[in-house]
Amino acid sequence: MKALILVGGFGTRLRPLTLSVPKPLVDFGNKPMILHQIEALKEVGVTEVVLAINYQPEVMLNFLKDFENKLDIKITCSQETEPLGTAGPLALAREKLIDGSGDPFFVLNSDVISEYPFAQLIKFHKSHGGEATIMVTKVDEPSKYGVVVMEEGTGKVERFVEKPKIFVGNKINAGIYLLNPSILDRIQLKPTSIEKEVFPKIADERKLYAMVLPGFWMDIGQPRDYITGLRLYLDSLRKKASVKLASGPHILGNVLIHESAVIGEGCLIGPDVSIGPGCVVEAGVRLSRCTVMRGVRIKKHACISSSIIGWHSTVGQWARVENMTILGEDVHVCDEIYSNGGVVLPHKEIKSSILKPEIVM
Amino acid sequence: MGSSEERVVAVIMVGGPTKGTRFRPLSLNVPKPLFPLAGQPMVHHPISACRNIPNLVQIYLIGFYEEREFALYVSSISHELRVPVRYLREDKPHGSAGGLYSFRDHIMEESPSHIVLLNCDVCCSFPLEAMLGAHKSYGGIGTILVIKVSAESASQFGELVADLETKELLHYTEKPETFVSNLINCGVYIFTPEIFSAIEDVFKQRKERANLRRVSSFEALLSATKALPADFVRLDQDILSPLAGKKQLYTFETLDFWEQIKTPGMSLRCSGLYLSQYRHTSPQLLASGDGTKKATITGDVYIHPSAKVHPSAKIGPNVSISANARIGAGVRLISCIILDDVEIMENAVVIHSIVGWKSTIGKWSRVQGEGDYNAKLGITILGEAVDVEDEVVVINSVVLPNKTLTVSVQEEIIL
Repeated sequence: MKALILVGGFGTRLRPLTLSVPKPLVDFGNKPMILHQIEALKEVGVTEVVLAINYQPEVMLNFLKDFENKLDIKITCSQETEPLGTAGPLALAREKLIDGSGDPFFVLNSDVISEYPFAQLIKFHKSHGGEATIMVTKVDEPSKYGVVVMEEGTGKVERFVEKPKIFVGNKINAGIYLLNPSILDRIQLKPTSIEKEVFPKIADERKLYAMVLPGFWMDIGQPRDYITGLRLYLDSLRKKASVKLASGPHILGNVLIHESAVIGEGCLIGPDVSIGPGCVVEAGVRLSRCTVMRGVRIKKHACISSSIIGWHSTVGQWARVENMTILGEDVHVCDEIYSNGGVVLPHKEIKSSILKPEIVM
Repeated sequence: MGSSEERVVAVIMVGGPTKGTRFRPLSLNVPKPLFPLAGQPMVHHPISACRNIPNLVQIYLIGFYEEREFALYVSSISHELRVPVRYLREDKPHGSAGGLYSFRDHIMEESPSHIVLLNCDVCCSFPLEAMLGAHKSYGGIGTILVIKVSAESASQFGELVADLETKELLHYTEKPETFVSNLINCGVYIFTPEIFSAIEDVFKQRKERANLRRVSSFEALLSATKALPADFVRLDQDILSPLAGKKQLYTFETLDFWEQIKTPGMSLRCSGLYLSQYRHTSPQLLASGDGTKKATITGDVYIHPSAKVHPSAKIGPNVSISANARIGAGVRLISCIILDDVEIMENAVVIHSIVGWKSTIGKWSRVQGEGDYNAKLGITILGEAVDVEDEVVVINSVVLPNKTLTVSVQEEIIL
């Protein structure tokens, strides 16, 4: 089976992290974002993943060679020369997605994290015999999104309503699809929206079905949702009684610590923290609801919450970093500094406190 | 030494990528020395000034950017000037004197009688020929270009005290807290090769001091927090300051303009200064037009030959338009730098702004800065490939590359 992951563009909402690496390679739970998806696809028998990108293919390709070998799965890039929207890339990758077997192929939005219940998706798709299956997820505020109105028992999609003003349903498009190759005949090689142009037509023909996504779902394309997403992801690891989660007297709630990270005495870590490879957390540090990327050093007595600390940065002694502070790569927060929501671009030194949210270039 | 033996080597310090985050977001796409001012890369202006030096044999650019960033520029400018220009890469920053010293073999290869040292991010008229003449008459080992500024702003720079008659450098102090002098260091120097011995002496002294002196625990604490590596030698504080008052160093005063180009705001200001200088030095580079066959031009304006400007547009003063830009009908541009491949649609207005490569400005939209070149959000800067939709207003904002503005913004940084 094949899969297409819509990687798209520049990941500007995840700046400053995406100033250092392309968005699919930004680490989430100590693994590049896209690796979570590729691993789940491999598990269900996908042999080739095509990445639809329009930016930095060289950086991506180097990493991908690495994954290809480790995971024994073929990974190729399909590069857009102009933005093709959410359906156009499928037409661009047509040759790669059709292998003559007639098998359906997956299409994923690269920003989405979830349990990826692909086996269940395949089963449901085969059982209803329609042309396309989309996964939907329940949300509290459906009018922020495109709502999918579907038949309760069969899951047959009746219609899509974009940002509905009155309540029509609470299920939205989760960005995970399983599509028959015939769908490619509906898509031309031009900027096209799959939600607005392609799916509504298939729904009219009663050939589009929706499956409610079991487990958690999050679009982690921006920092606030990234942090919420980490909480959901770690929670799901807890539910599976994963051995990856850390335990001990200094651990509170769900915490992921890479085996090469070093944690000092007297720390209190958690809930909802991930600490990457090679990190050094010195004595007396408090970390909660944050991501600490590869190679970071957190000095003694520092306190970090609700923030993302970028690769190879340092946080000084007694520093307090909180409230959606995002440090890019190689940022050094001096001792005793306070950062309240500072968003700091790579290669900076923070020598004076940031009292209210601001961008430091 | 007779003038037939005179050979001059020019060295331009261009810096490197991890320093100077102040030039963001423009430095996210191009090394600062290659950012265009008045239609030419920043480093081109001091290089061009070196043309006026008689007996110039070589120009070196020293910095710690990757070689490939400068490869194209260096080969084309060598060809144009007919003087070899080479980029020498430092493996890490050594300070201005350290950098000069580490490449002394290259610099001394042609046995120069004089070495001209310039900082790339200085904007001035570079009166090098006159300065060289003065240096020779003083007979010292170095001559520093100086300028008088207001007493308040002097403390941001190196302040010098010079003898009114002999012009000898009597005293030098960097960024003093109290007022010393309103004469400041312009960052342009002429040296004889003896400068290398002066730098060597400083290295030797440091080594000896490190070996002999047993540092007290208090001193060790102080030095541990802000230690400079032993091979980081700053020209002004470590070399020139100690030599002041010893009849070795002299000053040459310029009465023309002088600015430092540290921020994008200042690059807009300096682009204007160089444009007004073209009026005297190269008026053929400036555009002209009265709205009949070509667009109306007011003040100093540079338009690259490949750019297309609609005749109904009004351009200037202080506007620089780079290659392949397209300026539509009824557009008004005031005090701005329009970079390569930009498209500005009908009736749009751009004031006190820098519009990045490949960006598009929609119809009737307004991109504007207040014009305070030193403030953080004093001009509007659009990074590479920013699209401003029709009728949108962007004021005093900085927009990073690859963004589309669909609604108006004011006083914002958009990542």
